Amino acid sequence: MKKCIFEDLIDDYLLNKLVEDRKEEFEEHYFNCPQCLEKIEERDEIISVIQNKGHMIFEDEYAVGAAEAGWFDKATSFLTPKQWAFATISSAIVLVVICGVIPNLKTTSPQFYINEDAVRGQKIDLISPVIDIREVPSKFEWKKSPKDVEYKIYLYNNGDLLWSALTKENLIVLPEEVRKLMTPGEKYSWQVKAFSPEGILTSVSSRVQFKISPTK
Amino acid sequence: MHEGKEAVAKKDKGLDLEEVITKYRSVISFRVKRSLGTYNPDWEDVVNEIITNVIEKVKKGGFRGESSIGTFIYTITSRRIVDYIRQKTKVMKYVQEPSPFPDPKEQVEKKERDELIAKSIKKLKPKYKDILYLYYFKGLSREEVARKLDISPRRVSERVNYSLKLLKKIIKQ
Repeated sequence: MKKCIFEDLIDDYLLNKLVEDRKEEFEEHYFNCPQCLEKIEERDEIISVIQNKGHMIFEDEYAVGAAEAGWFDKATSFLTPKQWAFATISSAIVLVVICGVIPNLKTTSPQFYINEDAVRGQKIDLISPVIDIREVPSKFEWKKSPKDVEYKIYLYNNGDLLWSALTKENLIVLPEEVRKLMTPGEKYSWQVKAFSPEGILTSVSSRVQFKISPTK
Repeated sequence: MHEGKEAVAKKDKGLDLEEVITKYRSVISFRVKRSLGTYNPDWEDVVNEIITNVIEKVKKGGFRGESSIGTFIYTITSRRIVDYIRQKTKVMKYVQEPSPFPDPKEQVEKKERDELIAKSIKKLKPKYKDILYLYYFKGLSREEVARKLDISPRRVSERVNYSLKLLKKIIKQ
């Protein structure tokens, strides 16, 4: 059967979306069109059920009955789901670049802070000398950092800086002229700091004290 | 055009009034129930009054064939509905109308039918259930549904029609 030209108005009529003039025109039409009348009656029955029992019919799928998110639907309706997906993915990529990639292009900030003699966070473990010793140490050794760093060693005598030096290794031989300055019975302390190739401080050791036993 | 109109007028003037009652009762009933409400007990009386009015006018020569019989009956129906509403408004100003008391048998039949339709909708695939939910339950326009589902408005109409066709099939099964 050929489709009636008024058939497309059935839904709008049943959902009360037609303007008055059009509504009257359509009403007059279905008095003259058994085909449209049959469709209207069928559809009216279904629409009534959907509108009256929709909460029950669609409960499982759409959580109908929960607080209406009308404002959310309206706020998000200006983009299609595909456009939302594209916008979300693009935003995620931008965030990854900003938070992940860019910081790594810069030099790494030190992840520690020093509170008096205590060092929190990443620190360099000193190996020797860390306890009292019998003679002036010939070398100083510490745990090697996995990163590409340059170490600076500081040697103190009662809090005063006695000597410092730079090395790429995790140990340094004490120069003879410095050894001669060190005397038994005196308290000494030492500390190591690590610097990145760009010269940024990356980690620090605690300042460890040691004493050279007095000669008998 | 004029000959065609005369032909129509002759055919309609010679119409069988019983045929008119049979043929147009359902459309008059639909129109009246839609305006007065399905559970308004007066609807059947109003329909009967309209049919009586149509028969009287046809017998008295009120139908001159200038329009189709459908349009003639539509005009009488619309006027009677307006009169009824005006009358009811006047009455309700002074007297509290008792609540309408629907026919229990009709109620049971309707309830069973509604449940059958509801169960049939639940059996539809999500694609078709979605469209019925958005279009009829949420009351979104074709364009709004199209945006939500990322399809064209024309596709929305096609899918609605197809969903209803499927539903009709399930209900009949």
